[in-house]
Amino acid sequence: MTTTTSEGNYRHLYVIIEHEEGKPIPVSLEMLGEARRLMNDFNKKYSSNEKVIAVVLGDNVRKLCEELLLYGADAVIYAESPELRYTRNLIDTKIISQIALDKECVAKISPDYAEQFKKPRYMFFAADNIGRHLSSTVLAELESGLASDINKLVIEDLEIKHEHKTKGQSMNYEKILEMYRPDFSGFLWTTILCLDNRNPAIEREYHPQACSIIPGVFQPLTRDATKKGIIVDYVPKLEEQDLNVKILSRKVIKSAVDFDTRKAIISFGRGIKDSPEENIKLIEGLAKQLDAEIGISLPISKKPYAIDETIISTYMITDRVIGTSGRRVMPLLYVAVGISGAMQHIAGMKESEFVIAINPDENSPIKDECDIFIKGRMEDVIPILIEELRKQKNLVMEVRK
Amino acid sequence: MGSLNVAVIIKLEPDFSEGNVSYNSDGTLNRAETKSILGPHSAIASKAAFYSKVKYGARVSVGTMGPPIADFALQQAQLICDADELHLYSDRIFAGADTLATAEVLKTGMSKMEVDKIDIVFSGYRASDGETGQTGPQTAWKLGYTFLGNVIDYDVDLERQIVTAKRLITLQGFYDIIEEVEAPLPVFITVDPSYKPVFRTVLQRLAFVKYQKEAKERAQNYKKYLKVFNAQQLGVDPKFVGLPGSPTIVYKVEKIPKAKASRKAEIVDGSDPGQLRKVVARMSEVLGGMMIK
Repeated sequence: MTTTTSEGNYRHLYVIIEHEEGKPIPVSLEMLGEARRLMNDFNKKYSSNEKVIAVVLGDNVRKLCEELLLYGADAVIYAESPELRYTRNLIDTKIISQIALDKECVAKISPDYAEQFKKPRYMFFAADNIGRHLSSTVLAELESGLASDINKLVIEDLEIKHEHKTKGQSMNYEKILEMYRPDFSGFLWTTILCLDNRNPAIEREYHPQACSIIPGVFQPLTRDATKKGIIVDYVPKLEEQDLNVKILSRKVIKSAVDFDTRKAIISFGRGIKDSPEENIKLIEGLAKQLDAEIGISLPISKKPYAIDETIISTYMITDRVIGTSGRRVMPLLYVAVGISGAMQHIAGMKESEFVIAINPDENSPIKDECDIFIKGRMEDVIPILIEELRKQKNLVMEVRK
Repeated sequence: MGSLNVAVIIKLEPDFSEGNVSYNSDGTLNRAETKSILGPHSAIASKAAFYSKVKYGARVSVGTMGPPIADFALQQAQLICDADELHLYSDRIFAGADTLATAEVLKTGMSKMEVDKIDIVFSGYRASDGETGQTGPQTAWKLGYTFLGNVIDYDVDLERQIVTAKRLITLQGFYDIIEEVEAPLPVFITVDPSYKPVFRTVLQRLAFVKYQKEAKERAQNYKKYLKVFNAQQLGVDPKFVGLPGSPTIVYKVEKIPKAKASRKAEIVDGSDPGQLRKVVARMSEVLGGMMIK
């Protein structure tokens, strides 16, 4: 059984662009790249002509809009005002929601589909400090579903049999966005779908199908200077109280954790568990010898050990997490201590120049992601490494004398 | 000068602390064997509410949606924030709710709190198990409250009915920013994990001690402060909560296929100092003649 009555109400893929003073945040171009690939396949498969539409809010963003056309957008809808220079959740949510429902914008971009248009078919946001919240509030306003922290997307027709959605009957859903999100352990993938309720008792349409996308996962397209597209200027309808959040100051800060300029990074994971405090001290010792910054795996940021408060507040913090839900690093030397190598973590360190893992378990996935695998317990291995590094330094000092 | 009413939204979550958490052999969480506690980010949100109590003498309410055993999380939160009121929204029909359907329950729950109006709602920045971070902002939107995310510090001007807050924003590929904002009450704040309340004056420190003591006593008798609401008592429309009210479903859960080995590791015996010496030599090589300053 297929319901096609609403076909035509939902069109296009809207990508919400984030930028800093007109320069796109990398994930914005990454989302456009993936959107382009998905919609190319979509249009071929369904013989349609639905668009990738970038949405930009800001001040002086016309140049950025033109640039987005070269990175995969068919069209850009933008709202420009000095009030929009920096992102603010309330006003941004209102404007994006207005744009998402605006027929006239769609008429300028794709007149064929404008008549029946109600809402976007799909919507992408960045899974960062801004997009994570913005996606939540926009989808609360649009009353539809949202999956967060996605790293794989597929569009397919699916046969669905669900207690509530279909009242237990088997039904065909067309053009469904399968949104894959890795769980916190990094070992499981959960596929989230946003589906209309077709159960007569609770019938309800849920569009757009929306998600937030993990930065650094998808490849942006190569800039193509020959690409052309449509740019639509949207004039938002605002009320005075929408502007009552005031930005008083904005200060750029350097994180106390320096993953960018250090040549070496040592990360530790749950492998420290037998004696967390002593092991962290060992890792500190090794880091000192290598002049390395210290990173952690995601589970450590959940502060799993009842140990010295200072150690917890120094090391078991989200700022140090390396992986899809933390930082992506590329030092010359990466030492993974007691880290099993969940996909989450690997994504954050795989571009390191040289990787050494210290782990007693030869079957742990990190083995396939390192150049040297030291099989052994950190308690035994690290003291020797420290000792050898010391000796070597002394040797060099001797020679210099 | 007006008084201040604050609320905290919390969640019962798996306890990830070593000894309590249990992982399956494939690295996934063993939910049956893992205990549940007040989530760490919920605890931080509770601290932020306690700050309001100490500094402004705020009245504090705590609410959660969950199974009956979630009252344990409420008790733990009360111990942190000296709550005057605990709410548990619990009904079989809430099960399986996604963030939008959860937000619907929490929004309705807030309206049942025994104050005229909640001025500030706090929540953690994300749960440690679901990790979506969506429930807070969606509840805020449904309440019609101004949403302020990633807050690391805040203060209230009771006379002007205004909040000033510092927010920490990380911009991928750029830098981190601390943004100071001002917004009229009511607001909804999600608290950044790095939040640390500071009590500067003697009066505040005295109030801190007093309320902490009170919190301990109250948490021992937390049931006295607890109200449990089912769907009917809340007056929510069953269509908008639980599975029927959830636009999204979990379609499938699978193990993430092991990626193709990206490097070919040389295996070194960790108990052989000779081999480790060679590793150290490689380290120096990689780091370009070593880090001697």
